[in-house]
Amino acid sequence: MMEKTVMLLITVPILFSLLFLALSKKLYKFIAWAFFLFGVIFSVQLVLDGIGKYEIAGPNFAMIENIVLVLEALVILYIFYVSVKYKNWPTLGLIVIQTAISIYSFMNIAEVESASFNIDQLSQVMILIVNIVGTAIILFATGYMDEYEEHRHLNRQRTFYFTMSFFIAAMNGLVLVDTLGWLYLFWELTTLCSFVLISYNMDEEGINNGFRALALNMVGGIAFSVAIIRFSGSDIVNLSQVVGTPGGVILLPVFLLCIAGFAKSAQMPFHSWLLGAMVAPTPVSALLHSSTMVNAGVYVIVRLVPAYAGTPLGTAIAVYGSFTFVICSALAVSQRNAKRVLAYSTIANLGLIIGSAGIGTPLAVSAAIMLILFHAISKALLFLCTGEIEHTIGSRDIEDMSGLIKKAPLLTMLASLGMISMLLPPFGVLLTKWISLEAAASNPIVTILIVLGSALTTVYYVKWLGTILSSSMDKKTTTHLKLETYFPLSVLGLSIIATSILLFSIFNYFVNPVVATLLGTGPTISGQGGQFVSEIGGFAYGAVFIVLVLAILIYYAAKMAIAPRQVDNIYMCGENNLDKDKLMFRNGLCSYDKSSVSNIYMENTFGESKLSTIGYVISILIIIIALAGGVL
Amino acid sequence: MNEILKILLVLIGAPIVGCLIAGLDRKITSRLQHRVGPPLLQPYYDVMKLLQKDNIVVNKSQNLYVVIYIIFVVLSLLMLVFEADILMIIFVYTISSVALIVGGMSTGSPYARIGSSREIMAILSYEPILILYAVAIYILTGTFNLSALDEASNPLLLYIPFIFVSMLVVMNIKFKKSPFDYSTSHHAHQELVKGMFTEYSGPGLAGIEIGHFYEYVFLLGLMFVFWKVNILMGLILAVIAFLFVLVMDNITARVYWQWMVKTSWTVLLIISVVNVLYLYVYDIKIV
Repeated sequence: MMEKTVMLLITVPILFSLLFLALSKKLYKFIAWAFFLFGVIFSVQLVLDGIGKYEIAGPNFAMIENIVLVLEALVILYIFYVSVKYKNWPTLGLIVIQTAISIYSFMNIAEVESASFNIDQLSQVMILIVNIVGTAIILFATGYMDEYEEHRHLNRQRTFYFTMSFFIAAMNGLVLVDTLGWLYLFWELTTLCSFVLISYNMDEEGINNGFRALALNMVGGIAFSVAIIRFSGSDIVNLSQVVGTPGGVILLPVFLLCIAGFAKSAQMPFHSWLLGAMVAPTPVSALLHSSTMVNAGVYVIVRLVPAYAGTPLGTAIAVYGSFTFVICSALAVSQRNAKRVLAYSTIANLGLIIGSAGIGTPLAVSAAIMLILFHAISKALLFLCTGEIEHTIGSRDIEDMSGLIKKAPLLTMLASLGMISMLLPPFGVLLTKWISLEAAASNPIVTILIVLGSALTTVYYVKWLGTILSSSMDKKTTTHLKLETYFPLSVLGLSIIATSILLFSIFNYFVNPVVATLLGTGPTISGQGGQFVSEIGGFAYGAVFIVLVLAILIYYAAKMAIAPRQVDNIYMCGENNLDKDKLMFRNGLCSYDKSSVSNIYMENTFGESKLSTIGYVISILIIIIALAGGVL
Repeated sequence: MNEILKILLVLIGAPIVGCLIAGLDRKITSRLQHRVGPPLLQPYYDVMKLLQKDNIVVNKSQNLYVVIYIIFVVLSLLMLVFEADILMIIFVYTISSVALIVGGMSTGSPYARIGSSREIMAILSYEPILILYAVAIYILTGTFNLSALDEASNPLLLYIPFIFVSMLVVMNIKFKKSPFDYSTSHHAHQELVKGMFTEYSGPGLAGIEIGHFYEYVFLLGLMFVFWKVNILMGLILAVIAFLFVLVMDNITARVYWQWMVKTSWTVLLIISVVNVLYLYVYDIKIV
C-alpha cells in the first residue's frame, strides 16, 4: 500500500503538470481543485500507511535508474542551453564543473543494485506540508495569475502551472527517497524549476535573478555531488546510512551536504537568490519560500543531525544558523517592501531551524522539526495575503497598507493571524522559539543571538500588524471575494489554529519518534493540562488559548453593558477638516494639510547597505572556521 | 481550594496595591516638586469617574485591544504568583504590550501612531534584557521554573547584580516614566498629546488604567524575584526599584528614543551578557 502511495505522490503531480500543459486555460481552476484534493487525500493516506522502508531492485530498478540518468543528462543539457542562450558565463562555468563531476562519478563509482525509499514521520510531515500547502498555493494562483498577467502583458500560464506542479513532484521525491543519487536528481530538479519560475516575467531583472538563483544553488549542487563521491568511499549510498555511522571520516561530506543545504535554504552568504526571487509572481514566492525549495535544505540538514550532533561542527552550525537569524531579522526591520520583509523573515527563521538542529540536543532538534512545519504554514499564508493585498491596494509598501482593515476586513484578519502566529504565544512558531531558547541556554553565544533576533522579529512584525489594523478614514471599498483566493487562505489560517491547538499531539506523533531515531533518545516532554512540559520548563499554550477566548467574550459582554457607543472623529488639536478627510488639519497658513505618520525603519542602523557586508564577511568566516575546526 | 483563594487574592488584591502604588507615585512626586498633590486614592477616583463617562470611540474595535491587554497582564501576574516558567511569563507579557501598541495604532490618530512606533522601539530595548534575565535564572537553577528558586541557598541578586541594574532601567521604561516617557505619559506632551492612548477615553481609558495597576504589581514582582528566598528582602528590593523609578522620573528630562535603544543595546546589553557569560564560564549553580 505504501509503495503505491509513494509512487502516486511522485507521478500524479507530473500527470497534473502535463494536464496543465495540455488543457486550455479555462479548465485550470478545475485542475487546481482536483490537484488540491489529490494533495490532501494522498498526503493523509501516506500518514495512515505508517512508516517503513522499501527497496526497488531488479529490472524495475534498472529501468528507473536509466530514467534518472537520462533526466540528469537533460537537466545538464538544459542548463547548458540557457546559460549559452543568455550568455551567462558564471553559470556556464559552474555547469562545466558539474558535468565533469557527473562524468567522473559515472565512471568511477560502483553501480548500486537497488534504491530505497525511507518513509518516517519526518517525511510524512514534509509530505503534508508540500502537498497541502503547495497545492493550496496553486489553487490560489488560479485566482491570481489572470490579473497578474493582464498588468504585465504576459501569456505564460502554461509554463507557470506546468513548472509549479512539476516542482511539487520533485519535492515529493526529494523527501521520500533515501538513495543519495536519486535525491541528487530531485535536488537539481527543484533548482531548475526555481530558475524557470523566478525568471517567469522574462524581463532583464527576472532573468538575472533567475540565473543568480541557479548559480548559487549549483554551488550547493556541486557540493552535493562531491559529497556523494566522498560518501561512496565509505560505502554510504543512502541518507539513512549517514545517520547510522558515527562521526570521523564522514564529517567532510556531511559538511559539504550542509553547504548544499545552506545554499538551498538561502542562508548567508547565499541569501541573495531568495531576495531576487521576489520579482516572480507571489504564488512562486509562496511556494519557494514556505513549503518547498527552502525546506529541502533544512530537511537534509535535520536528517544529518546524528552525524554532527555534539561535535565542534554541530556547534559551528548552531552559531552559523543563529547568526543568520539575528542579521536577517535586523535587515527585515529596515525594509518597507512587504515581500522583502517576508523574505528576510524566511531566511531568519530557516537560520533558527538550522541553529536549533546544530545545537543537537533532543529538545533542540524537535524544535527544528516543529519550526519547519509551523513556519511553512504561517509563511505561505503571509505571502499569499501580501499578493492579494497588492491586488487590492496596488502596492506592497507597508506604509500604503494602513487602513487595510476597512478595505478588506477578511484579508486583514487572515494576514494578522499569520503575523501573530509568527511572534506571540500560543501559536506554534513561538513555541519553537521557546524550545530553542530553553535548549540553547547551554550555549550562551547561541542564546544571546536568539534573544536579540527574537526582539528584532517582534519589531518588524508588530509595526506591520499595527499598520494593517489601523483604521484610516478612507471610504470602505467592497472587495469581490473570490473563492479560489479566499479558500486557500482560510485553509491555511485554520491550519495555523488547528496545529497550534493540537500541538502536543503533533509533537507526540510526528516529532518525538523522529528525534528518537535520529539521536537515540527523544526529549522527555509531557503534555497534561494544555501544557508543553519539558525537563526545564513549561509552555502553557492551553491557558493562553483559554484566556484569549475569555478576552473576546469579556469584550463582547462589556460591549453590551457599556452602550451606546458613539463613533467620533480623531483628535487633531481641534483643527480637523471634517468634510474632506479626518486626517486633514488646518496649518499655520490656514490651508489644509494631511497628517501622515510612518513607522520607524532605522535604515541608518539596520539598512542593507550597513549590514549586508558584515553579514557576508561573518557568515563566510563561520563557514571557514567550521571547515577548519570541525572537519579537518 | 487554596489555589482558588490565591487567584482571587491576586485578582482583587493586585489592583488595590497597584492603585496605591500609583497614588504614592503622585503623592511623592508632588512633594518633590513642593506641591501638596492629590489624595492617595486619586487614581481610584480617576478610574471611577472614567467608568461613568460615555463610551466614545473612533474605531469600533479599539476597546478589544484594551481587554486583551488587561487579561494578559493578569495572566502573566498569575503565572508569576504560581511560579511558572519565567520565559513563558515574559512571552505572555509581550502579548499585552503588543495589544496596547496595536490598539493605539488601530485608532489611526497620528499622535497614537507616533506613540506606538516609539513603544515598539521600547520593546526592542527591553525585551532582550528580560529574556537574558530568564536565561540567567536557567543557568543558575537548571530550570526556567521559578519554583526552583525556593530551594536556592542564596538570593539571585548576589549572582546577577548587573542584570539587576539593567532591570532597574527596564522598570523605568515599562513604567513609562521620564526619561523614557516618549510613547505616552501621565503628563501631557505637546507634540504627543497622550501618545498611544490619545483616542482612548471613558471606560476604555479606565480599562487601561486598571491594567496599569496590575502591570505595576507584575513589574515589581519581577524585581521581588531577585531576593525571593526572603520575602522581606524581596519586598525591599521591589520598593527600591519603585523609588528608583520615581527619583529618575523627577530628576531627568525626556530623551530621544534613539538614545534609549543605543544605551540599551550597548551598555545594558553588554553588562547583562557579561553577567550571563560569567555564570556560564564559572558554572555557578544555586540549587
